[in-house]
Amino acid sequence: MTIDYNELKKGGFLRQKQKDNFIVRFRCLGGNLTAEQLRNIADLADKYGKGYVHVTTRQGAEIPWVHLDNYNEMKSEISQLGLTTGTCGPRIRTVVACPGSEICNFGLMNSRETALELDKEFFGREVPMKTKLAVSGCPNSCAKPQENDIGLVGAVEPVLDSEKCIGCGVCQKVCPNQAISMVDGNPVIDNAKCLYEGNCIASCPTDAWQETRRGYLLYAGGKIGRKPRLGQVIDKFIPAEQAVEAVKSVVKAFETLWQKGERIADTLDRVGVEAFQEEMHRDAQRGADSI
Amino acid sequence: MADNISVKDTLDITKDVCPITFVKTKLKLEQLQQGEVLEVILNDGEPIQNVPRSVKSEGHKIISIEQIGEKYRLLIERGE
Repeated sequence: MTIDYNELKKGGFLRQKQKDNFIVRFRCLGGNLTAEQLRNIADLADKYGKGYVHVTTRQGAEIPWVHLDNYNEMKSEISQLGLTTGTCGPRIRTVVACPGSEICNFGLMNSRETALELDKEFFGREVPMKTKLAVSGCPNSCAKPQENDIGLVGAVEPVLDSEKCIGCGVCQKVCPNQAISMVDGNPVIDNAKCLYEGNCIASCPTDAWQETRRGYLLYAGGKIGRKPRLGQVIDKFIPAEQAVEAVKSVVKAFETLWQKGERIADTLDRVGVEAFQEEMHRDAQRGADSI
Repeated sequence: MADNISVKDTLDITKDVCPITFVKTKLKLEQLQQGEVLEVILNDGEPIQNVPRSVKSEGHKIISIEQIGEKYRLLIERGE
């Protein structure tokens, strides 16, 4: 039997160091697995693996020790069970997400829902180099979007209605970046220092702090690996319904500007942020023209 | 300005840490009738960062917050 390793990698089958043994990677959409999916994965691990599952750092589940002889049988069983396998190689990978505003006290955006939309649009898509996406519901960044090639962070921008303010000073206390100071008993915000997590809005007893804008901060150029670096903000306050388009413009700019061996971080470094943003907007403009 | 408000009960959470600070406040508020006011004494730092936020998200109304030395005095009106 001839083995097409690339085809196997595409489908989430990763070659182990032991001859003819594979790791089968599953993906959990937005970080969730149903109880039924967990039971099915457990059964598969018993039947085809060695009875254990490895939990990956990017919200995946892997069954190691699957023998090549069982590949076809396992593959058809996986598809019958309705499970989805992961991918690897130069593709868009599993979209990681935190629980987000659906259940989290701090969540500003429904990160899981956005992750599902991104997954539907981009998962497995071939790109010049591996590209990882993560979505966090707020700037606490639990899904580590800044470590990903493209990241989204839920954010809210506050504005003060001074008529309602009673000058209690709680906003100054709860601000994580000392963006708010009390001047003559009134809060004054330094917008450049605002982290957009909305503590002032959430804590204000009189609703004097209100939100003006809510959406995602768009990060690009994060990666870990041997030379780790954090992504940087390249756009702000993207509404949830425009998240797919925003990510698409980053991917397209990357595809256009890419040179051999580069991940988004490297391309960004070489061309500079402004040139990258310009290319993103050029793409968006082309898209608009073609409609 | 908060002096003429009739306080129904008082709670001192200055010896507690999160999440007990909020749990005690929540339980005390549940013993009150809607519209009645609870006085809470809490510390600077983590309690003042979290208690007002949690009280607000539970649907209660913070009437005033006053700093007294290293502590805070919070007046909370029980919501629905």
